[in-house]
Amino acid sequence: MSETAALFSAKAAGHTYGADDTAVVAVRDVTCSVMSGSRIALTGPSGSGKSTLLHMMAGLEQATRGSVSWDALGGHPAGRPDQVGVIFQGISLIPSLDAVQNVALPLVIDGMPYEEAQERARDAIGRLGLDALAAKLPDELSGGQSQRIAVARVLAAGPKLILADEPTGQLDRAAGIHVIDVLIETADQLDAALVVSTHDRTIAARFASRWTMHDGALTSMTASNEDPIDRTTE
Amino acid sequence: MISIWLRGLITRRPGALIATVAGVTIAVALLASLGSFLASAQASMTVRAASGVAVDWQVQVAADAKIAAVQSTVKSAPGVTAALPVGFAQTSGLSATTQGTTQNTGSGVVLGIPSNYAATFPGQIRFLTGARDGVLIAQQTASNLHVAPGDVVAIRLTGTKPVTVTVAGVVDLPQANSLFQTVGAPVSAQPTAPPDNVLLVPESVFAKISAAVTPVHPELVSHQLHVARSHALPSDPAVSYVSVTEAAHNLEAKLAGAGRIGDNLGASLDAARGDSSYATVLFLFLGLPGAVLAGILTVAVANSGADRRRREQALLRTRGASPRLVARLATAEALLVGVIGGAIGLGLSAIVGAVVFGSASFGASPLSAILWPVGAFIAGLAIAVLAVVLPAVRDFRSIIVSDARAQISRRRKPLWMTIYLDYLLLAVASIVLVITTQAGYSLVLAPEGVASIQVNYWAFFGPGLLWIGAGLLTWRLSNFALSRAPRALTRFVRPVTGNLAPIAAASMSRQRSLLSRAIVMFALALAFAGSTAIFNSTYQQQAEVDARLTNGADVTVTEPPGSAVPPSAASSIAGVAGVKSVEPLQHRYAYVGSDLQDLFGVRASSIAAATSLQDAYFQQGTAAQLMAKLAAQPDAILVSAETVKDFQLHSGETINLRLQNSVTKKLVAVPFRYVGVANEFPTAPKDSFFIANADYVAKMTGDASVGAFLVNTGGQSTDSVAASLKQKLGTTASVVPIGAARSSVGSSLTSVDLAGLTRVELAFALLLAAAAGGLVFALGLAERRRTFAIASVLGASRRQLRGLVLAEAAAIAVGGAIAGVLLGVVLSQMLVAVLTGVFDPPPTILTVPVGYLLVTAVIALAAIAGAALLSARESRRPAIETLRDI
Ligand SMILES: Nc1ncnc2c1ncn2[C@@H]1O[C@H](COP(=O)(O)OP(=O)(O)OP(=O)(O)O)[C@@H](O)[C@H]1O
Ligand SMILES: [Mg+2]
Repeated sequence: MSETAALFSAKAAGHTYGADDTAVVAVRDVTCSVMSGSRIALTGPSGSGKSTLLHMMAGLEQATRGSVSWDALGGHPAGRPDQVGVIFQGISLIPSLDAVQNVALPLVIDGMPYEEAQERARDAIGRLGLDALAAKLPDELSGGQSQRIAVARVLAAGPKLILADEPTGQLDRAAGIHVIDVLIETADQLDAALVVSTHDRTIAARFASRWTMHDGALTSMTASNEDPIDRTTE
Repeated sequence: MISIWLRGLITRRPGALIATVAGVTIAVALLASLGSFLASAQASMTVRAASGVAVDWQVQVAADAKIAAVQSTVKSAPGVTAALPVGFAQTSGLSATTQGTTQNTGSGVVLGIPSNYAATFPGQIRFLTGARDGVLIAQQTASNLHVAPGDVVAIRLTGTKPVTVTVAGVVDLPQANSLFQTVGAPVSAQPTAPPDNVLLVPESVFAKISAAVTPVHPELVSHQLHVARSHALPSDPAVSYVSVTEAAHNLEAKLAGAGRIGDNLGASLDAARGDSSYATVLFLFLGLPGAVLAGILTVAVANSGADRRRREQALLRTRGASPRLVARLATAEALLVGVIGGAIGLGLSAIVGAVVFGSASFGASPLSAILWPVGAFIAGLAIAVLAVVLPAVRDFRSIIVSDARAQISRRRKPLWMTIYLDYLLLAVASIVLVITTQAGYSLVLAPEGVASIQVNYWAFFGPGLLWIGAGLLTWRLSNFALSRAPRALTRFVRPVTGNLAPIAAASMSRQRSLLSRAIVMFALALAFAGSTAIFNSTYQQQAEVDARLTNGADVTVTEPPGSAVPPSAASSIAGVAGVKSVEPLQHRYAYVGSDLQDLFGVRASSIAAATSLQDAYFQQGTAAQLMAKLAAQPDAILVSAETVKDFQLHSGETINLRLQNSVTKKLVAVPFRYVGVANEFPTAPKDSFFIANADYVAKMTGDASVGAFLVNTGGQSTDSVAASLKQKLGTTASVVPIGAARSSVGSSLTSVDLAGLTRVELAFALLLAAAAGGLVFALGLAERRRTFAIASVLGASRRQLRGLVLAEAAAIAVGGAIAGVLLGVVLSQMLVAVLTGVFDPPPTILTVPVGYLLVTAVIALAAIAGAALLSARESRRPAIETLRDI
């Protein structure tokens, strides 16, 4: 992997849901790349395609047009929690597993023995200061706590690219700020790139790069002047 | 509003709707099929009981009454279609001289019958040889006198000159017992044995005899009116019995002492109504659990949509819907489900009826053909209401939305678990079992001559509580196994889940209330199928044993009384193709005290080879043990339990019987040693009798003649063997294959097409087991879909997802199968114990239809596996969309 290789890059990529008269073009003609260590905030009105683009980055949704690649990750990242970690817009914890088990799940799915995965999960939860939640079931967690456990799940796997889809969407301001803190801290710890979609301007302001979507298209990609890592291209 | 709501339901939740409809369909079809079957069985019992009677009523004309007057009163009674006068005259003996020797008989009866008697009562006289009118002689009398048609017989009359007649034909009187009954005798009286010698003479001949005897001995002549009634009776034997009995009482009242009625039709219906109650009981025991199970499944399926329903209701509430509107919408949904399910169910039952019984209404009479389907339809509606309306209203009232997550348990134990309701129910069930199986207990009580029938409904509590208690206990145990044994559970699921096993186990443990419910339902369905199958095949086996008990053996050759056929005649029977072995059976009468009983002389060492001797026939030893005792001790004898009680016998004591010596024709006292009790024996009557060694009886009476030969054909080609035996032996002996006994004797319950009922029940049981296996997977579908979507976006492969579902499927299958088999075995044992009265004789062991049970198990497991794999595929596809949904 050369130093200039992108974790993810898209060339005129688009995604259309459905076909024919029910077709919805969610993402159209997007060309972008996410470099190692990036801090990107993705904003845009509801329905503009943020989630779809993030899912394309995670390899969970295919590009129905154009091309996408994960050069620095060595190919399609699906089922490789150590490459890409996703924090979903809604609650994404399995209700019948406690916090530790939820955090360990991607690792076990990836083939790690359960005991080792559990260890790693506890460790990740501890690093985020969530020990008190370790034995709780998702139903016993608040929305913010759930999202932080979801962050711990990403941290435990140690991916190179972290994708967070409106992680603060259903939280109040304080809880939201806390989750974003934890996310940034995690990305720092892992030295991973972080892409966060959000409606919140103050949150977006904390990121070095700010991409804006409109009607499926990436309409602007601005970088803070002091951020040297921004390498977005047209 | 309602139509919009329903249209929405149909388009958005077709799966749940179809499943609910299917549940109602199964319940309705099962109830309607079984109910119509029951109705038709009862109707056929009535028809059978009525058609088996040769003469419906025998009106004994009082000595001082005018026959013609009584006859006109009887004829005008409603329902009477014919009333013919029959004269009875006692003869002190008959004699005939043939081929130079003169034979004399003891006393007998001369019947005077009108010329149209045989045509009016076709069941009364069976013509054997010779003419059909003129003087007819009973077969036994003919053989006693060595006469044939054309021979002259002298009728000796007390106090006057004999009358001579010329025999025109030889006949058999199949219903001699009721023909010669003492009309008006109290119910408790011993039935009088029919006379040994019977002569049927035309009215003109009888008038001569009557004219000669009446002046000197008026008590020796009497008259009866034999009555045929319309057999258009209510289909229920119990109702028919009451109506016929009432008609008889009415007529007796109208006759005002001029006549008493021997109600043969009533007596026959009396016996049938007991069987009919047993049929009802069988329906309740075997059919109801299935219908209830179908109901529970339906409720469970409907409940699987609870999540979605709660969300819809939340929406309705935010729009300001009142509880009444919610109830109305739910009722509309229930009606839709109930009506569609009910209609399909009735259609299905009509098809089942047509396929299995050959008529859409199972041959039921018009009224019951409507009543049962209507009842089943209403039951279907009730199930739909239970499944749809109740939870909707309840949910709407209890506004706690977090309840929606109640599937994952960290909840308190349910109340029934804390108060040990399951153990309690099982304890009560066993107490009921002990009580209901006690000696002297009878499930159905139909006292002879009493209008009402008592069914001990208490007995239903046994199996009923066992069902519920066992279901709850299964729940408790699977809950326990799922929560307290994580290691074992992990090991159990590892083969399908690989290294995900601990996760799968943990997840299953937390979903234990859901899984336990599925296990219970699957277990109950299997238990229903198993117990039904075992009960039915045991019943069929016992019916076969009953037929053999009644007929004696595969083929039975009965010699006419008084004939002196030696045991060596067995060898000529053994020579017929298809005969495996032949056993001679002596038949005598013996006096014990003043009581006359049948005595059977057997060859104890070989009798078991020709017929089936069940342990249940005997007391104080098994069949084999008692036969060995007989074989070892020449003067050993088996007596009835009643005789033991009446004579206070103790084992080893001597009992003196009086038997007729063949040479002197005098009764001689013969000592026997009492060694055991026989309550039933092939060819023996239902009341008291003796079993002794044939050789000993022959030695003590100087007579080795055989009453019957029991022919064992190995159960094969009994009819053809009987035909060749008939040809070989001529008309002297009667040859009866077991098939005749199967249809003509035995209880009318046996004669009902239980095979058809069995097929219907087993088909439904199979359907239920498969449905339970499949539907339990619909239960946690919402939860499971979410779990799968998450696991899938976290990178789980198709195989891993499949493993997760299969782990649950395996737990349900294994847990359900273990509990189901255990409960099935216990239940069938209990059913057989509680329903002992249905069995005649009671079975010693259960018959297990291995083939059917295997097929059921395979189909049920296949249903589970299929549903699991389907659900794995379903959950995988729209992972991200599903996740967005949440
Ligand atoms: N599974 C799907 N099928 C069809 N259309 C879809 C699907 N998922 C999303 N869409 C549509 O694609 C478009 C983009 O949706 P997307 O969820 O990516 O937007 P978003 O920017 O994340 O919105 P939000 O801020 O509300 O989360 C929308 O018009 C949406 O309706
Ligand atoms: Mg979104």
